Amino acid sequence: MSLCYAALTALLASCSANLPVQREAQQAEDGVLPAPFMIVCVIHGDGDYLYHDTNGIEHKADEEALAGAQSIARHNPQAEVFIFHRRPREHFLFVFPRHDGEFYYYRNGRLIANELYWRDQEHSPFDPEVELYRRFREDNQRKMASIFLYCGHEIPEFGGVGYDASYPDRPFTIQDLADPLRAFTRDSARFDLMLLSTCFGGTPHTIGALGSFARYIIASPDNLHLSYFDFQPLERLDLSLGDGDVHAFAKRFARRSFDRLTREIQTAVSVSVYDVDRVQGFLRSVQGTYEQTLSTLKEQGEASMSTMEHCDCADLPAYVMPTLNEGIEVFYRPARFGRSKHKQAHSGWECWRQASTTAPKETDQR
Amino acid sequence: MYYPDHHDANRSYFAITKRETITTLIILGSIIILLLLALPAKAGERGELQKYFSDAAVAVKATDNPTEKRAILNETFQTMFAALEMAQKSELISKNDAVGINRFRAALQEKQDELAGHNGYVRVPDAQLNAFSEYVVQDTEQADQFITISVVTLLLIIILVVLLV
Repeated sequence: MSLCYAALTALLASCSANLPVQREAQQAEDGVLPAPFMIVCVIHGDGDYLYHDTNGIEHKADEEALAGAQSIARHNPQAEVFIFHRRPREHFLFVFPRHDGEFYYYRNGRLIANELYWRDQEHSPFDPEVELYRRFREDNQRKMASIFLYCGHEIPEFGGVGYDASYPDRPFTIQDLADPLRAFTRDSARFDLMLLSTCFGGTPHTIGALGSFARYIIASPDNLHLSYFDFQPLERLDLSLGDGDVHAFAKRFARRSFDRLTREIQTAVSVSVYDVDRVQGFLRSVQGTYEQTLSTLKEQGEASMSTMEHCDCADLPAYVMPTLNEGIEVFYRPARFGRSKHKQAHSGWECWRQASTTAPKETDQR
Repeated sequence: MYYPDHHDANRSYFAITKRETITTLIILGSIIILLLLALPAKAGERGELQKYFSDAAVAVKATDNPTEKRAILNETFQTMFAALEMAQKSELISKNDAVGINRFRAALQEKQDELAGHNGYVRVPDAQLNAFSEYVVQDTEQADQFITISVVTLLLIIILVVLLV
């Protein structure tokens, strides 16, 4: 019977409404050095995030991203780091729900708080995260640099149903990410840098929507392997970003991620740095055309996923204009195999086109 | 008045013990069954498909013989084609599933063409077969053809692949 008691104890523990698993000495406001750098990190893990490395070993992308974010947090003696891990909703014995969010708050390299939370409590998908952020953030502290990091699958530009595997009926689109950013940016209005570690983040719509909340954005216009960007440059921001030159830092970050990905990945690798103010000319020019495409896709619904495909905006005449390359730096290497292996450059902007019914042959490619 | 004797006490003790044991076994059995039922759902259907190609890539890299490498890759593609074809004939397949399967199949066909140097592709050189096997895994992991394929259909494809291997 002791086994039954143990199971019952575990069951009851898993049902606890708001279980704080750890909370170290409450922030210890006095005597703690200020944290002039801030990183807000959202890791989406509520979906299929499994991948295999070149040795056939399985990795869970969200777990690896979490470990990377924690390493950043521990190696930043002058930063406050918020980590939100959005996990799959699971049930103990199919009945008793378990927490589907975990929050970590580090300040000056120390873990201050680690709490489990429920994601499915409010109307807006990020309400629980915003509430935790407001509870722990350092007040009255002017930031030398602030960074927002999102790790996950491609964030849909329309529809968005099924993004969260645990809440398949609840849509999640780029707008659902943009809306809560206003709460995270607080006084500064914009993050200095946003890292969008997802596939197809470099579209006119995505950069346009998130650009209101960031000065620079690093994103991949094409597929991004689930091993994600290389987070190591985010360690010791006091040294690497002490001069406040966010643009130079962004370029170094993008270069390093590109170098690591090209060493390990055989599919296409693309990492772009968007100077949000300088790309506004291009965004304004193509906004009408792009939004019209999105409207068509919305009308088609699910069927659009089989009739449309991503492509380099430079392949579509409507997007080829003098401002196409303005304010953007692109690190690109084509896939080493496949029909796009001869494509030598990418504009850094990704668009939509009708899916080709017959695959073009290698000799036809540019 | 009836007073329970020594034998009655023993019978009663054993009856209670037996009842407790049966109850415990029923509870434990239920928990084990529930956990076993939970396993397939947790493993992830798409993950199983990825593992199929990843295992093939590991096998390709395990041999130095280019002919064997090509044979492994070809067999991997052929088995998957056969499973997809059988799945498409199933009544479980929706229109969206069929579209997703067609796109997945087309993407695989391109890879097989490239491996063999058919349909305008330059044949993958022997020295690049290991890299090509990694490309197959990574491209499959990134593939969006799965978006329109339902969980039930993915599960069916996996079962068919297991039966055909």
